[in-house]
Amino acid sequence: MSLGITAVGRPWPGAGRLLRIELRRSAMLWLLPLAAALFYYQAYRRALALPPLWSLRAMTLQNDALLDFAMPVAGGAAWVGARESRRHLADLVAGTARSRWARQLAAWAAVTCWALAGYLACTGVVYAITARQATWGGPLWWPVAVDAAGVSVISAAGFAAGALLPSRFTAPLAAVAAFFALGFSIEAAHGSSSYWLIAPGTAVGPSAGVATFYGFLPDLSIAQVMFLTGLAGAVLGGLGLPVRAAGRRLRAAAVALTVAGLATAGTAVGLVGTARFDSHGMTVIPALHDAASGAPVPYTPVCTAGPVPVCLHPAYAADLPAVSGALRGVLSQVAGLPGAPSRVAQAAPLYTLNPPNGVSVRTTSASGGTALLLLPVPPPGQTVNGATVTPAEFAAQAAANIAPGIVAGVIGGRGRLSPAQAVVTAALLMDGRAGLATPEYSIGGSGQGVTGRPPTGVTGQPPAGVAAAFRRFAALPAAARHAWLAAHLAALRAGRVSLAQLP
Amino acid sequence: MTAGLARFAPAAARPARPPWPGLRLIRLHAVSRRLPAALAAIAGCAVGLRFALLWPWDSYGALQLPLLFEALAAAVIGVTAGSPLGDPERATGRWLPFLRLGGAVALTAIAAVALAAAGTGANLAGGTLDVVRNLAGLAGLSLLCAAVLGGGLAWTGPLGYLMPGAYALYTDWHGPALTTPWLWPGRPPHDAGAALCAGLVLAAGLAAVTARGARDPAGE
Repeated sequence: MSLGITAVGRPWPGAGRLLRIELRRSAMLWLLPLAAALFYYQAYRRALALPPLWSLRAMTLQNDALLDFAMPVAGGAAWVGARESRRHLADLVAGTARSRWARQLAAWAAVTCWALAGYLACTGVVYAITARQATWGGPLWWPVAVDAAGVSVISAAGFAAGALLPSRFTAPLAAVAAFFALGFSIEAAHGSSSYWLIAPGTAVGPSAGVATFYGFLPDLSIAQVMFLTGLAGAVLGGLGLPVRAAGRRLRAAAVALTVAGLATAGTAVGLVGTARFDSHGMTVIPALHDAASGAPVPYTPVCTAGPVPVCLHPAYAADLPAVSGALRGVLSQVAGLPGAPSRVAQAAPLYTLNPPNGVSVRTTSASGGTALLLLPVPPPGQTVNGATVTPAEFAAQAAANIAPGIVAGVIGGRGRLSPAQAVVTAALLMDGRAGLATPEYSIGGSGQGVTGRPPTGVTGQPPAGVAAAFRRFAALPAAARHAWLAAHLAALRAGRVSLAQLP
Repeated sequence: MTAGLARFAPAAARPARPPWPGLRLIRLHAVSRRLPAALAAIAGCAVGLRFALLWPWDSYGALQLPLLFEALAAAVIGVTAGSPLGDPERATGRWLPFLRLGGAVALTAIAAVALAAAGTGANLAGGTLDVVRNLAGLAGLSLLCAAVLGGGLAWTGPLGYLMPGAYALYTDWHGPALTTPWLWPGRPPHDAGAALCAGLVLAAGLAAVTARGARDPAGE
């Protein structure tokens, strides 16, 4: 009796007690080890294989973690949703103080609480490890919010499926449907204004490594949270619509919840339709956009010592030794020469969307004596054509991106290359390991040049003596080449040096 | 009237013996295990797979899609292992293990044929052999889970395995590849080790369900 009085007189304590009972008995608790194992097997290992960049790991986790939790949460929620029917309790509990809708909300809340607790614990582990490894930046919370909303809506959908279609087959069907819907929506998202971007597995932009030089734009995340929250509200409200689900007042609340949820979800979908891709690699939704959030993030670069310092963003500090090592050969040969950079600095990438789903990356043009370095994508740890990119390969690719430009700035490769200029360019790049090819490949008759283009003057049949001149010049010690360049660079740039005059 | 009392009744009062008692037993067992619904669900899996194969998936989708439907069909097979009668059924006679075995084997075979037929003429990754191997192993997992957790939760095995299996397929493209034969979906269709592992799991599942049945309390 006292329980009933308390429940009627003080609804929240009664509801809290109901939730506590549901939490103690929720089947989701027993499915958490499965979710955690899936998370460890896939999301955890994939995220930690990536460099410790907050943006990279957070956005990778947003997709993978939700996929890992989708099946256990949807299946577990459907299992709980079908409980009253499975245990033939519908008539027995019909006369209790709480309406059916209130009981269902309590059961759903318990499932969702456990699922969220599991998700946050798993994500917390990855974030804690990243916090220890990262050299710059801080955790991104919007991807976590999107996934939390995603877990809630998957739980709501699974629960509704179990409640409305109580069968032993409902739980596996709901689990597979959740997995399929997530996977399908990610695959279907093309372009910058696809409505499928509303799917929670879609990260903020096509390149997961964004939001390092510029602040994280939460526009898409806000729309996703709106959509997922609205959808969850609509699904849960829908459970309270039948006449036998609750009394008149509660049903009115269910109607309001359903309408509000549908309106919120519909608004979010409409907003995503107006999205566009910005030059920082992120998705802008004009109605949700705060110009201040995408501003450049000030930072102090980490640099190497030496005649031509190499400077990287502090987030990439771990890559500095490898990248500077890959550039050392070229820089040591041209340091101090006219046209050579006084500093190599990492530049912020500028993204351009190539429909339907391609992205091209470039950087701003060099200014002053600084050569701008664009670090390649993918970073170490990611895989291309079945092979994982190593730090050494990453550094070599970074050097290959910038070294031809540095050498061309010294030798004068903007216009037509004379045979001597082509030979010197190839030798400098070869010695700097920036490279690009064997001497025969570069200078011979293959048609490929040191910069990836046929160098003018040495295409087709190379002039007689090119190969011999190359072997001669490439055999010189780096210091001797530097000394010769310092003495003859003006003549070489003017095209007045013949192959025979090369040392 | 129970069977024991009927034995002492006059011959004229005994109920007429059905013409095909074996078939009746099989039919009743099938109905109690929700086999008609399971057949409908498996048919739904095959139809779903067929329609899904019409979609122009990218490499990941095309490779992983069949596994999704195989896992669902296997989960359905495991769910049918659950008995609504519980312990009382275990005392009914010596045919129960054979009925359990027959039901599981028949459903697995039907699911394999249905999914293979759904992929006929379409770009089914791995082909028929892949479908049969994957389904066999997943069905074994499902039956093992039915024996340990109960028929209602048998789906946790194959659907839990789905994610590592899909990840193993993913690593075929994005190395380092996971080459253990226990992750048979990631192995080529003709891989003997993977087929052996899947077969072992199916045999273990069939043995467990045949001998013990699903771990189900009465009344669910």
